[in-house]
Amino acid sequence: MTRRTVTSLLRAIGIAVIVIGFLGPIVWMILASLKTNVDIYDPSKVLLFRPTTANYATVFGQSQYIDYVVNSFVVAAISTAASLVIAVPAAYAMARFLMRKSANLVLLARVIPGVSLLIPWYYVFSNLKMVGGYFVLILAHMFVALPLIVYIMMSFFEQLPEELEESGQVDGLTPIGAFWRITLPLAAPGIATSTILAFIFSWNNFMFALVLSSAQTKTLPVAIFDFIGYASIDWGGLMAASVVVTVPIMAIALFTQKYIVTGFTAGATKG
Amino acid sequence: MHPLFIPAAPKTDPGKESTVTRTTPTVVSEQTVSSTPATRPTSPGVPQAWSAWANRHRQWVFAGPAMVFVAILLVFPLAWTVYLSLTDSSGSVRRAKTFVGATNYANVLTDTARFWPAVGRTVYFTAGALVVEVVLGMLIALLLWKPFTGQAIVRVAIILPLVATPVAVGMMWRLIFDPTIGFANYLLARVGLPPQPWLADQTTALPTLMFVDIWQWTPMVTLILLAGLTALPEEPHEAAKVDGASGARRFWHVTLPMLMPTVVTAVLLRGIDVLKTFDILYATKGLGGGSFHEAETLNVYAYGLSFDYFEYGTASTVLILFFALIVAAVIGLTHRKKVTK
Amino acid sequence: MTPATTRTILVGVVSAALATSMAGCGSSPTGGSDGGSTTLYVTLANHVWTDKIKSAIPEFESQTGLKVELTQLGEDQLSAQYNTKLNSGTSEIDVMMFRPLQEGKMFAKNGWLADLSDDVTSDSAWNWSDFQAAPVAATTVDSAVVGVPIITEREVLYYRTDLLAEAGLKVPTTMDELRQAATTIHQAHPEVAGFVARTNVSAAVTQFSSFLYSYGGDFFDSSGKASLDTPEALAAYEMYSGLLHDVGPANVSTDMSWPDSMAIFQQGGAAFYTEADSLYTNATDAAKSKVADSVGFAQLPAGPAGSKPYNIPSWALGMNANSQNQANAWKFIQWATSKDMTLTIQQAGVPSARTSVWEDPSGISSYPKDLAAAIVASAKVGVGHDRPVVVQVAAAREIVGAPIVAGITGGDVAAAAQKAQTDFQAFLDTDK
Repeated sequence: MTRRTVTSLLRAIGIAVIVIGFLGPIVWMILASLKTNVDIYDPSKVLLFRPTTANYATVFGQSQYIDYVVNSFVVAAISTAASLVIAVPAAYAMARFLMRKSANLVLLARVIPGVSLLIPWYYVFSNLKMVGGYFVLILAHMFVALPLIVYIMMSFFEQLPEELEESGQVDGLTPIGAFWRITLPLAAPGIATSTILAFIFSWNNFMFALVLSSAQTKTLPVAIFDFIGYASIDWGGLMAASVVVTVPIMAIALFTQKYIVTGFTAGATKG
Repeated sequence: MHPLFIPAAPKTDPGKESTVTRTTPTVVSEQTVSSTPATRPTSPGVPQAWSAWANRHRQWVFAGPAMVFVAILLVFPLAWTVYLSLTDSSGSVRRAKTFVGATNYANVLTDTARFWPAVGRTVYFTAGALVVEVVLGMLIALLLWKPFTGQAIVRVAIILPLVATPVAVGMMWRLIFDPTIGFANYLLARVGLPPQPWLADQTTALPTLMFVDIWQWTPMVTLILLAGLTALPEEPHEAAKVDGASGARRFWHVTLPMLMPTVVTAVLLRGIDVLKTFDILYATKGLGGGSFHEAETLNVYAYGLSFDYFEYGTASTVLILFFALIVAAVIGLTHRKKVTK
Repeated sequence: MTPATTRTILVGVVSAALATSMAGCGSSPTGGSDGGSTTLYVTLANHVWTDKIKSAIPEFESQTGLKVELTQLGEDQLSAQYNTKLNSGTSEIDVMMFRPLQEGKMFAKNGWLADLSDDVTSDSAWNWSDFQAAPVAATTVDSAVVGVPIITEREVLYYRTDLLAEAGLKVPTTMDELRQAATTIHQAHPEVAGFVARTNVSAAVTQFSSFLYSYGGDFFDSSGKASLDTPEALAAYEMYSGLLHDVGPANVSTDMSWPDSMAIFQQGGAAFYTEADSLYTNATDAAKSKVADSVGFAQLPAGPAGSKPYNIPSWALGMNANSQNQANAWKFIQWATSKDMTLTIQQAGVPSARTSVWEDPSGISSYPKDLAAAIVASAKVGVGHDRPVVVQVAAAREIVGAPIVAGITGGDVAAAAQKAQTDFQAFLDTDK
């Protein structure tokens, strides 16, 4: 065997190990969600077992799981949309006018520990009688989404040449018109990236929902938690509940992986 | 304020977005042509004055709403937290409280039972997870750097942990690491090793949780480093090759120095989130981080002080110190990033 | 129109508009919470009791013409939410389910719980004096009644009849017999733990408390002096943690609360288990438990001071002091704790606090006979608290639980008890 084939063989093994390492636990969780508790308590039945959908019946039967799915979706969709509306123009202005101090203020929101926000927020909004429904929860999720979108979009806008807008203005567009008609369409991939990532982060958020959601607005990550403590630990049901919360987001990720990669790597390769 | 993240002068990147900028001018000119006549006559009188004003001040019209939003949601809680940290508030924030000056800070900073161990765990967890994530992320990035068949599948495989819901991930690993029925100990038994307590033991809990964080977030470091590697110029590498440098030497003396700013960015982005880790700790160990507080980081400690102990004065003090620690780390890394540039 | 109503309407409109514009889904906030709204906000914990009440709520609604807005949460989320919401002075909670011994004193001190002293004596047919003395004492803070106990519990011994029969053992009546029996069975079946119980530092405290009392100790004496380093306390610490360390499950963790230890018992992983009686259906329900057919119950084995299990109200219904709807809130509490309702719910397996229900033969007919006997016996000798009765209960539990986890992990119990004594005394001196 030549050195080259040895190298590429080693590389293939390395890649296989990576795939198994990262995917294995997820596959294992899905398998566990299809087992009876008796099979779960016998670790030797990793692959050989009689699959059952009983755990999913428990998940969807016992509580208002469908409502939680809807809640998660509504909160994620609205907080993402509302954040986009105010974050995209802001990112543009901050990138174009080099407003670094302003950008840092917004990004400070990403740094502050969430625990310090919960009680003050509720205190204020409750006294303003604005705590019914999804309101405070959406606000909290926007607080996460906004800096994320600003961060991603700034790196996009910085890469768009200014000349295009200027030529638009020569053609008679106002500066805002030029932003609306020229820059924004060009930034579409960035907006898609921001949308997907903001949605995922909102969907996965746990701490804010734990404290700020009500029984009617409870989201999925909190619903998973309810699965423990109601009765003794039902591992099969717990795994099924975990699959229900992760699978939709993984499905989205599968179809939009290009954008997700762009989002996670935004701004990373600049000097 | 010290710049936190924002890189200096915006430069057009020859990387992935170049295709977008290159193909679009045609679209733009079409749009411009069709739209120009329409916009002018439909904005007479007051709206036009408003539009002119908006255009002149577009910097703030655009940035204003987001900044006001963040300022309102950030400044009040921050000011409130600072205020509470100077009082003996406990039980209910509406209960009468006394101004105690820096007493809380003195108490917390001399608390070797809960506070300093929590600081230690936070630093240990963050540093440990980060180092492994960067080293492992780099190895994987190098492995995936050159194209190969099945690349798309591998990309998907490493994205899935990233997007998985952390609470669900915590539950999943909790079962895998269960001392009696978990798959981890089953595997160990199959290769003849004794069972480990994993999350259950006070010495192994935190390293096990680091492992969970590493499993979930190494892919993010990999993706960032891959993007950095792809954007590197070819020439220095080729030149070194011609000079007969070995693969390892080329990486160490050519690739790595050029990639350093990207590495620092990855550390910065990941670092903030690792410091603030909450979900997986709470989902696996609960309030207080276990019976010996073995997984109690600053974030978990502050949450417990607020929501379990009702000690708002102390909780606020811990939060302010924690916040200061994060900001200091960010400033330190941003500075480092400038140096490496 | 008065300025106040105008303002209320304005605030209502503005906030509704804001909520709609921001949230796009116009789920309107509470708005008019003026006295006597027809909507009643009831917050309950996830519990079998809640399930039963929930199915009966339509009945209450048609009787009274009120609409009940029910919020049902898991324990963790419930306490986090009480903390945030009551801190803000919300009137969005009218009736609240709370844990008298865990948070009762703190909530009362915070001014979060309304004084029900007049309400409870207002209706002789409903009959406040029917409630057992110990639970009533636990829901009374500084001589004000702040809650009506709904669920009571006592620590009892769960055991496996099949394993005992096989080993030819009879049900242990003393702690030493328990230890011997657990050891015998564990030696015969190394894969089965002789004994299991809660192991988490905080969760274990309540189950340890009965051991402590049975050895003649308590958390602190009547003068407020900590008593964790007494010979009695030390013996109790050593028995509880020693059982878990010596004959407990293999690789026993110190993270187990009741769902984890119950799961081990359900799967046939333990011979003896000391736990609250109110959780018994988890062990006897064949859908959940592999050992449903062979579960026996007995009163907690006696220590040197006799058998002294706790007998406490684990949950009570209280009223938010800021509720704008107190008359209706009381109506709900009265309905949910009426004699008929209590009987129905107790028959479904949730032990109550009403004497008459326990005396009614149909009140315990659905319980396993040995369990019913154990409950009645325990209630007679029971102690009215299962954790230190202080304001900062969460902090106190972590201090007094430390020697337990030290013992479970094979550490020095005496040294840990000594340290706990010092810490706890310091805690008691500042607890406010």
